[in-house]
Formats: sequence, C-alpha cells, structure tokens
Amino acid sequence: MINKDVQAILPRVQKPGRYIGGELNSEVKDKTNVDLRYAFCFPDSYEIGMSHLGMKILYAAANDRDDVWCERVFAPWHDMEAEMRSAGVPLYALESGDPIKDFDLIGFTLMYELCYTNVLNMLDLAGLPVRAKDRHALTPIVVAGGPCTCNPEPMVDFIDVISLGEGEEMYDAFFDLLKDCKQRGASKDEFLHAAAKLPGFYVPSLYDVTYRDDGTIDAVTPKDGAPAVIPKMVVSDLDHVRYPDKFVVPYIEVVHDRVVHEIMRGCIRGCRFCQAGFLYRPIREKTADTVNDQCRALCDATGYDEISLSSLSTSDYTHLEELLDKLLTWTIPEKINIALPSLRVDNFSDELMEKLKKVRRSGLTFAPEAGTQRLRDAINKNVTEEEVLRTARMAFAGGWTAVKLYFMIGHPTETLDDVAGIADLAQAVVNEFYRNPDKPKGKGVTVSLSVASFVPKPFTPFQWEPQDTRDMLLQKQAHLLESIHTKKISVSYHKVDISFLEGVFARGDRKLSDVIEWAWRHGCKFDGWDDSFHFDVWMDAFDACGTDPAFYANRRRDFTEVLPWDHLDFGIRKAFLQHENEKAHHSETTPHCRLKCAGCGANRLNGGHCDAMRQSMV
Amino acid sequence: MRCVRVWFNKTGAIRYISHLDLMRTMTRAIRRSGIPLWYTEGFNPHPYMTFALPLSLGMESVCESMDIRIEGDVTNDDLFISLRDAMPDGITVTAVKDPVTDPKYIALAAFDVTFHDVPDPAALADTIETLLSGEHLIVQKIGKKGHKKVVKDVDLLEHLKAYRVRREGDVLHLDLVLPAGSVTNVNPALLCDEIMKHSAGYYVILRTKLLTADGKTFE
Ligand code: SF4
Repeated sequence: MINKDVQAILPRVQKPGRYIGGELNSEVKDKTNVDLRYAFCFPDSYEIGMSHLGMKILYAAANDRDDVWCERVFAPWHDMEAEMRSAGVPLYALESGDPIKDFDLIGFTLMYELCYTNVLNMLDLAGLPVRAKDRHALTPIVVAGGPCTCNPEPMVDFIDVISLGEGEEMYDAFFDLLKDCKQRGASKDEFLHAAAKLPGFYVPSLYDVTYRDDGTIDAVTPKDGAPAVIPKMVVSDLDHVRYPDKFVVPYIEVVHDRVVHEIMRGCIRGCRFCQAGFLYRPIREKTADTVNDQCRALCDATGYDEISLSSLSTSDYTHLEELLDKLLTWTIPEKINIALPSLRVDNFSDELMEKLKKVRRSGLTFAPEAGTQRLRDAINKNVTEEEVLRTARMAFAGGWTAVKLYFMIGHPTETLDDVAGIADLAQAVVNEFYRNPDKPKGKGVTVSLSVASFVPKPFTPFQWEPQDTRDMLLQKQAHLLESIHTKKISVSYHKVDISFLEGVFARGDRKLSDVIEWAWRHGCKFDGWDDSFHFDVWMDAFDACGTDPAFYANRRRDFTEVLPWDHLDFGIRKAFLQHENEKAHHSETTPHCRLKCAGCGANRLNGGHCDAMRQSMV
Repeated sequence: MRCVRVWFNKTGAIRYISHLDLMRTMTRAIRRSGIPLWYTEGFNPHPYMTFALPLSLGMESVCESMDIRIEGDVTNDDLFISLRDAMPDGITVTAVKDPVTDPKYIALAAFDVTFHDVPDPAALADTIETLLSGEHLIVQKIGKKGHKKVVKDVDLLEHLKAYRVRREGDVLHLDLVLPAGSVTNVNPALLCDEIMKHSAGYYVILRTKLLTADGKTFE
C-alpha cells in the first residue's frame, strides 16, 4: 500500500514495481489488532532479497503469530533513494506503506559482508541514528541474523541484538519478551539484559572487548551476567518445523523466481574453504514425502512452473531418487520444471542421469575448486580428475555441449603450478568431448571457468590463514590466462578488490565499525554491485580511521590468538578446526561424514544428533 | 480448443508493473486458476496468450483484454469465476467473452487523466484549455530506430482527436482520445508531462476504452 508521496515519485524511477508491495500472498493485517510491528529488512535490492529463501521462511514464521505483523523492506536503488530523500519520504515497509521508524522491531539479514553499508543507509533513510547507542527508546529494536552473524563484530555498534543460527523457532521467545517490555513500559536497557539471557541471542553491548598493543584481542568480557559463550540455535527436526505453504509472488522479475525447496541443512563434505558447509551443521534431512507435499502446496499457491531443490550438495540428499520419482508424477503433466543446483560429480549414477534427463536441461556445472589433486586434497575437495572426466563423458554422451567449472584461486598452500592445473583440467574436459564417438555433429564444446578468489572465513579450518594479497591474486589470474591455449575455454573472474574487502570484514573486529561508517558517509553503498563499488573510497576510509586492512585480510593468525568470534558457539569445535588446518598443510584428506564422523562437534547443538552420523553407523 | 477474451482492470499501485511483468503475472494467475489451458504441441509446450494492446507502465485501465486458448467445454461463466479468484490485488477480471473485434482494427484509445495535489485546479484547467485549443503543441518524443535512440518532434494537437476538461470536487479531469494501435500511437503522458510543466502535483492516466477507426468500441 503506497501513499501519495510515493505515488508522486514512482513515475520518475527505474523499475517502480520494486516499491509498490501488494504482491500475491503478501501478508496484510489490521495494524490495530497486532502488538508488534516487525520490519524485515534485506539490505540489498528487491530482486536479490525476494530471491532469498531464508527471508521467506522467517516471514511466514513471524506472520503465523496473530500478534505480530512482519513486513518486507528492501534497499531502494540509488535513483529511488535520491527521490525519497528529496521528497522527504522515509523508508517504508511494502505491505503497509508505513515508515519503519515507528515499528517495534527492525530486522536485518546479513547475507554477505558487502551489504553492511546498506544497513547503515537503510537505518538513516528510516530516520534513525545508525549507532545503537544513539537509539535510546525501547523501540524500534534493531536485530540482525543471517550467515554473517557468525562474526558480526564489525557491525555490532549499529545493531542492538544479534540472533545466532536458525530463526524459525527462536524468535517466539524474543517476540514475547519485546511485547512484554513494551506493555510494561520497560527501558531498552532492561529489554537488552533480558534478551541476552534468551538462547541464541547475543547482545553485543554487554561485552567489553580489550586489545593488545599489536591490535589483536586481549579479552572479550561479558557484563552484568551475560553468558560468556552464546550458542547458536538449531532446528532439530526439519520435517516438523514451519515451512511456508505460500511464497510472496513478485510482479517484477527477480533473480530466483520459482519455488525453492530446502531438502537438507548442513553438508557432509567438509570442504575446508567452505563456510556454509560448517556453519549449517549438523546434518538434517527432510523426508521425501515432506518435500513433495510442500512443493505441491507451493506450486498451487504461487502458480510457479519451476521448482528448485536447494541444499549445499543436492546429490548427498539420501532420498533424492525417491523424491524425484514422487515429484515427476505430477510435475510432468503440469509442465513444471525441476532444477537441481549443487549436484556433485562423484556420485552421479547412471539412473540419476536418466532421471535428470526428464528435469531441466540447463548447462551442467561442476565445482572441482582446485586444479591439482594435491591442492584438492589440501582443501578436502574429495573429487578426482577421473571423476570429473567420467561425469563430463556421461554428460556429453547425454547431449550436453556446454560445461561450467567452478574454481577458486588463492587457496592456502597454492602454487602457480596448481593454478596452471586449472587450465589442464579444463583442457582434459575439452578433449573428453572430442573423444565421444556420438558427439552431436557440427557442434563444438564450450567449457567456461568461473574463478573466484578465496576468502578465509570464520568457523572454517582456514580461519587462521592469510588471504592472498591483491597482487598475488592478480598474478595468479594472469598465470591462468597464459596457461590456456584454446578459445573453447573461457574464464571469468571475481574482482580482487571486492574479495579483499570481503576478507577484511569476514574476520574483522569492532574497530572496523568506524571504517564502515566513514565509507558510508562518503557515499559507499551497494558495494556488492560492480558499478556501485568504490574501492578508492574504502581505502580512504581505512586511512582516515588509521586502520590497516591487511591486518585483517592478509595476516596469519596464531592458533592461540583470541579471534573476534571466539565467544560465539556455532557448534564446530576450535580444536577440530585446528586439526583440519594442520591436515590441510600436509595435504591430508578427511573422509565425508557418512563414511566416518569426523567429530566436528556440531551435533552437540542438536542433543547429540546428526543425520549423517546416524547413517554412518548403520 | 477455442479462444476467449478475458477482460480486466489494472488499477492502483499495480499500474507500476510493465507489460512484461503483467504477462508473467497473468501466466501464473492462469496456472493457479486451474482452467483447462491449451498448450502448443512440440518440444517446449507453451500456452497461447495475447494482449489486445499493451498498456504503458504507470497507466491504469478499465478496458484491458487478453485472448487465451482453452480446451474442453468449460463455459465462459465458469472461466470468469476461476480467473477472477486467482488474480492478485489490482487486477480485476470483469468478464470472459467470445472475441468480437480483431485487435488489428484498434485505432484509438480514450483516457481519463486525473491531476492530484494541484495547488490551483482552476488555474490549471485554464492552462490546459489554452494549451489544447492552440495551433500546435510540439513536444519531443524519444523513439527507437533499430537500436539507436532518436528524438523527434511531435505536434500533439495534430493527433488529438477529442478532449474535455472537467472538475469533480478538488480533482481535475482531462478526457482525451488519441491514436492507438499498430499504425500510430500517441502516449498521453507526453501531453500530461507538458501540462505539468505549468503546475505542481502529479497525474494518473486511466485508459477507459479502445476504439476502431470508425469509432466503434473494441469488444
Ligand atoms: S557431527 Fe560428525 S557426522 Fe555430523 S556434521 Fe559433524 S563431523 Fe559430520
């Protein structure tokens, strides 16, 4: 519901459909009948935010409560922001059109480090002070969740409460508490002290951080009875947790415009570079029936004609074939496509290949991540060259002519030979195509390499490792290009400057809040967008704040150093990560969780249970 | 298989979605409605759906129509109920009928423009009268030639078939009839932007009717 002021400016902005709300299945409630107004903010564009599954899940869960009205808010694009500021229109929520500064709760999802300036910008556009200490009233309380909260420290000066882990179930107690405080007329301070005692909620202002002369952390000290360590919350049974039975269907085209279904959480693989693979442990699977029923309901409620089965490694889902059988019985007659992202190469059976022929035939993607076996062992990406080639062979025999391979450069222990190995592996895939006797006539093969730069992240075995400097990464990129000798292989890179900044914030501490605020005040926002990214301004920000970004990105940490996120417990034990790190340096692999539980410790958060463990024992 | 014409209104905030967005929205609404849609044969079956005359982004309308093909012997009344119930806010299905006029005969469109937040409606009404009763009203129109953008001058009064200014309370209305269809198309926003150079406020364009060259209603 948009008001007149907004109507007057919409004709002048690009894609006004982003700002109107009113989409099918959006929740409209009577505001006089709810106790809490909750603005769920995604600090990026509408198109990105509306593609995000986590937001759909939490939106449904919050709106299940009659006393809460949860609405969506996205970052207005540059043109809209300029119009809003000049017309004096504050940031509003899409469902009601009401300004969010009058809401009780403002929640941000922190999906990636480069959205941090957008959080500040949205608070400012709402008409609120960006620093938590300058917001004195009880409401609105600003809370943040999402994967970046595993090290929220660079952002904690702007946020009142951080929620750790999976929000579906933990928010109930939080809503109750806020509602109670509001009714009693309690102070913000009172609320924060009580919130710090709720499981999974971290109130950063209740922790003092002291530093040593060399800039590293000396200690993180809880105040006023706040817990010394805050464990993340996990949903223990995915079959019985609330999953939305409808999605808001956007009018305008968004990045992922389809039914998305999460089939499992966590990943059994243990790739040492992959934060998501550790962060979402322990492993929990949904049954095929649950997924099938929920997909059915979602298709009916949305009219979508595509289903994407999402997980970190879809082929590790133990019920995949059973699920495909169930889905295909109704998706084929109803002309609904099924997309399976994140398929791994090594357990691609012939039967699965047959079934896949009936599902969507988009390009085929593999992620060997590194070019040589030695380096793949070091990062624990347990895929052999033969497996990659065998799968390519099956794919080519099945009629595919385009293959996309994902790699990273800048892995710990990587040498230039490992980089050249990427080109060799791609060449071997090309050769495999021409070896296929039944290859389609008159058609060539295209192998595209997507080469990201590795960023060390918290709660991975590489959390202590230095990130390659920008110069090293550029040198490696050039070396890779020199090693490729055919036009059939194309390469795309991530920008090294963006990876560098991501590296700084991923393992940053509270001192970085000044840098973020400075950069934002000097125009930085939408930093994840190439066109909006101003590296020079960021460098000025570090200068102005007397901060050396290399201290965060390119420095090797000692195993004994207090890390900024040590007081947050994401299940994975530090000793396990250290052991994995040491194995990496000896290029030693760790078998995946179904072969043998590696004792990561994440099952502690789930009463000792882990679906992968159960299966490895039978 | 038979063809039906679905009539609908597009009003309110949904006027800010483009024609392409509308097509996507309709495809999904039709899927949700569960009506027996006819699909093309072949490798990539798709439904048949065509709109009489795309509506520009930002405009409201009470005379939109799309032709779809359906299978089986479901009645127009049943189709109407199923489709009506499946639409999102802002799209109201008003009727499902057998098509009468071929869309290629559409030549004119009638509009009802409302001006809002205008400080002095009486003055603006006079301005409009002056502008529209003159000899020429030349505006620049940005068009496309191949992939290039070209700017050309258009005399709006040469194209203006009819107009009327009226006041309803505080709201100023301007009724317009302009060429529309495959031969000549004049977007009323060109005229309204020209008018708004003389006043604060904003306008909303509502398309009310499509007509053939001899003035018959498109149905
Ligand atoms: S508890 Fe064991 S089986 Fe489960 S994720 Fe951790 S290492 Fe793997």
